[in-house]
Amino acid sequence: MVSLPFCGEGKEVRVREIKGGKRALERLSSLGIYPGAKLEVLNTKGGPVLVKVGESRIGLGFGIASKVFVEEER
Amino acid sequence: MGKLKVAFVGNPNVGKTALINAIAGTKLKVGNWPGVTVEKKEATVKVDGKELYLVDLPGVYSLSPFTIEERITRDFLLKERPDVIVNVVDSTNLERNLYLTTQILELGIPTVIALNVWDEFRSLGYSLNLDKFEELLGVKAVPTVATKGEGVKELLRLITEEEIPIPKPPTYSQDLEYFIKKVEPYVPKGMPKRWTSLKILEEDELILKELSDKSAQAVKGILRELESFFGESGNSVVAEERYGFIRGVLKQTLREPVGKKRTLTDVLDAIFLNRLLGIPTFLLIIYLVFKLTFDGSGPLIDWTDGFINDFVAKWVSAAISGLPEWLQSLIVDGIIGGVGTVLTFVPLLLFLYFFLALLEESGYMARAAFVMDRLMRVIGLPGKSFVPMIIGFGCNVPAIYATRTLESERDRKLTALLVPFMSCGARLPIYALFTAVFFKEHQAEVVFSMYVIGIVVAATVGVLLKKFFFKGSAEAFVMELPPYRIPTLKMLWTSISVKLGAFLKKAGTVITATMVLLWALINVPYGAPPKDTILGKTASAIAPLFYPTGIKSWEPVAALIPGTIAKEVVVGALGQLYGVGEDEEEGEEKSSFTQDLKEQVVGFGQAVKDSFVAMFGSFKTGVFEVESEEGPVSKAISKAFTPLSAFSYMVLCLLWIPCIVTLGAIYQEFGTRLTLASITLTTIVPYVVSTLVYVGGRLIGIN
Repeated sequence: MVSLPFCGEGKEVRVREIKGGKRALERLSSLGIYPGAKLEVLNTKGGPVLVKVGESRIGLGFGIASKVFVEEER
Repeated sequence: MGKLKVAFVGNPNVGKTALINAIAGTKLKVGNWPGVTVEKKEATVKVDGKELYLVDLPGVYSLSPFTIEERITRDFLLKERPDVIVNVVDSTNLERNLYLTTQILELGIPTVIALNVWDEFRSLGYSLNLDKFEELLGVKAVPTVATKGEGVKELLRLITEEEIPIPKPPTYSQDLEYFIKKVEPYVPKGMPKRWTSLKILEEDELILKELSDKSAQAVKGILRELESFFGESGNSVVAEERYGFIRGVLKQTLREPVGKKRTLTDVLDAIFLNRLLGIPTFLLIIYLVFKLTFDGSGPLIDWTDGFINDFVAKWVSAAISGLPEWLQSLIVDGIIGGVGTVLTFVPLLLFLYFFLALLEESGYMARAAFVMDRLMRVIGLPGKSFVPMIIGFGCNVPAIYATRTLESERDRKLTALLVPFMSCGARLPIYALFTAVFFKEHQAEVVFSMYVIGIVVAATVGVLLKKFFFKGSAEAFVMELPPYRIPTLKMLWTSISVKLGAFLKKAGTVITATMVLLWALINVPYGAPPKDTILGKTASAIAPLFYPTGIKSWEPVAALIPGTIAKEVVVGALGQLYGVGEDEEEGEEKSSFTQDLKEQVVGFGQAVKDSFVAMFGSFKTGVFEVESEEGPVSKAISKAFTPLSAFSYMVLCLLWIPCIVTLGAIYQEFGTRLTLASITLTTIVPYVVSTLVYVGGRLIGIN
């Protein structure tokens, strides 16, 4: 398990756990980022992280992104 | 039969507005939701003899109560109880979009789904079993392409002709259903049962607050039980169950394309979000917006100014020459001058709104926020607030309106309070006058230092405001980056015309009224020397207050007040107050009305041409060109100021109350309280900073 900013770019990952407050949790899940969701990591270069959820692209600030723990899909 | 209340609900950027636009066309009215700066779009239309009241609720991802948008949408759905909900979803993103849908279906309000962006959905290679989809969700669904008006007729037919059933809410796992049953008895009266039960399990603060003490106690117990049963908070459990339901539906209905194409968005993002290229590209784009806005509107502003003052004012003067002189002055200088000031901003705002709409609608604005986020967070603002700040260097007025692109009210207000410290173009003539007299050798450096002081003061005030008034951190950056789209002219025009109309109506009236008031200050009693007018007397009385800033006479203090009309007026006012005056205009040539009119029309053509040349003729912007003239005013101030007090006065002018139009814009966008806050801030801060400059300068031995 690794937190989102430290994922390789272009990797497909599955969310395992979100270690955030209620609010962060709700905001993320309403955008399709919840435990069990599949994401594609597009951009992790410095600062914010860009992930693809379905066909939509979600930008996450470094702080909130580091609360999302994922596992690489093979 | 009364009006049918139809609410459009959906995620941001799914085309809700385009859809409502396609139905209502010109009948669409845009205002604000009471008390906040979120746009409210509504329309009343007649379809097949039935009256429909359509309202576009702010785009939300969920019905939780965190953002203003969410609260507005949720309050409307709960309290106003629309007759029909049109849930607009982006078909290319069904899983995420249906998360909101599951919550809507639980409200017990008749609902229709508009499957928007259907053309893109098809071209990406998706397909959907519509009948099965409708059956599983228990609602009717209509494919639409809002931008082309496709599917709109079918949607309207559904709303007007059929009795839309109340949807059956999604069912979840037996375990969760057990807990839903358990909290149901505690749902407050008048709230939709199932929706509220689930919100309680999600630990929704607003609803938990509404429970009686006894119910709250019982609910707490149930929540604890749920947490120990699932090993997760209720919030996570419900979210996962909702997505479980959605995935179940989509598994049976949606066919995804095999293999993914690299889209245009992927290609553009590789450039715009690139680690090395991202920020330079952003700066280049902002520079271009800045240049095109100010250079392009410049000639048109000059024309408008000339049209009002040389044409309208001239012929109105001629028409009313029989009236008493003071009344003529009131009409020409006060009223026409005031309206004129408002109108000269129209070209500027037209250009700015065009480019901002272009950035916003094309999808780039979200990228700018992404790229700048880390840098701006240092002063506690999100990346996007960089845009209004930069625009503030050209003019504060459009900068205030540019704060609209920010998501959170807190960030919007904080940015609006800091914008006036950005040194706008109108302050340049003041710097030009003083630097020409006192800092001839280092003119450019001193002017540049003004910009730096503005930025440093803004950053400092930002940190202080955050510490004492705007508690809490800037909203964590979580944002959807919509696919790049080529905006249609119609979309751009709606966005521009609505905002311009609002400026003319709301800000325009306040500005004109204040201008008339200022006229009175400067001119009453009429014909008296400057010292004996209301302005002169007031300034003389408060002048001692300004001694610590190094200003020892009343004239510069008095000049600050007409300076609120527009900062450059300070220069002319100083001239008048020192009694040197401007040269009387040369005896005007006699010309007929038709000649003048012709001249104005020709002038307008020339202005349009100049505008194009200014925009595309060179890459450099003309905003920062300093024109300095030697005149009688220079002599007067060289006696009245020392270099140090001149510098201090320049700082005072830089930070002092922004012009009336900026205040009008703040008032229009944020209301009376923030306007007063801004005035307070822009009197105290310049006073303190100027005093620091003067006293500090004296201490190290400068005069």
